[in-house]
Amino acid sequence: MAYPREAGQTAPRVTLPALFGTFLQISMIGFGGPIVWARRFLVERQGWLDDQEFAEILSLGQFLPGPNVICMTVCVGSKFRGPAGAMAAVAGFILIPWTVGFAIGALFLHYTQIALMQNIMRGVSAVGAGLIIATGIRLLRPHRSRKIASLFAALAFAGLAFAKLPLLPLVLVLVPLSIAAAFYERPIAG
Amino acid sequence: MNTPGASGTLIGHLIVLSMISFGGIPAMLPDLRDYVVAGHGWITDQDFANCFAVVQAIPGPNMILMMSFIGWKIGGLPIAIASAFATFVPPCAISFVVFRWWERFCEARWQGPVRRGLTPVTIGLVIAGGYVMARASDVGWSSVAVTAAAAALLLMTRVNPLWMLGAGAALGGLGLL
Repeated sequence: MAYPREAGQTAPRVTLPALFGTFLQISMIGFGGPIVWARRFLVERQGWLDDQEFAEILSLGQFLPGPNVICMTVCVGSKFRGPAGAMAAVAGFILIPWTVGFAIGALFLHYTQIALMQNIMRGVSAVGAGLIIATGIRLLRPHRSRKIASLFAALAFAGLAFAKLPLLPLVLVLVPLSIAAAFYERPIAG
Repeated sequence: MNTPGASGTLIGHLIVLSMISFGGIPAMLPDLRDYVVAGHGWITDQDFANCFAVVQAIPGPNMILMMSFIGWKIGGLPIAIASAFATFVPPCAISFVVFRWWERFCEARWQGPVRRGLTPVTIGLVIAGGYVMARASDVGWSSVAVTAAAAALLLMTRVNPLWMLGAGAALGGLGLL
């Protein structure tokens, strides 16, 4: 269970091996979208971040190059243990999973034409899509009392899913508007 | 294609691409395809498509693995490893520097609205990503039902998602989707 931390409470104590091990697990079972597993481990199991902090780091990744989950790995490692933490988290995320993935993938590359394989991939990807949608809905919960937040989440969703707008311009337009709206909102407790 | 020139050129190109890959690695795929397939003819279109399909079905850092497979086809294992580094080191370095700056900014008093305004947009994009994936794998009502069931189970129960992915693989393998 996640226990939301009170303001002023000290950050959890996070060791380098814990960073290595946690990001190793996120990477190794990261089927169907690493964001699903990153939230499950970092927010629910370890309680290192709350939903808002998780969503903030994810947002930061929108403005940076590379996979969002790589940005999250660096940021979480760095937040708790500085440069050494960032390196431990990245090493956990990449070293062993890359080696295992490379070996399995090299094998798979010989069998990509098989229909059974394509069917299995289709099933995994249908479930993966559902997991990502549910993770997004969970991240929205800290904002559920804010109509304006739901509006901007809906606009971002529609812009990408229906209007098929390119990501970077979409973000560059919606984010300043969303921040401006938050400035004019009645302040929320906390 | 095992010339050192080709390998060096590929690594240089990957470094540039990874530094400008805003929107994640998938955003750099069209450019990379033009470069390695159409531009230099190092690998075929089919090779490229297979690399993409395979990394979707295996665990691990899949876009980094995809770059490694392309490097592997062009220059063997050393280039596979160099391609992995070219893909993740520049974004890691940039993330580290920006996060340092962001943490200092977070201590400022006026950051509340910025943080509250930033996240809803990202959350909408995450949900859209799931929706786009669902459409891509959608061949009928049964796969829509599977997607909806997975979302509902994750929201309402504590079932481990690995079981759901396993069930999806089984349903797909049996030809039910």
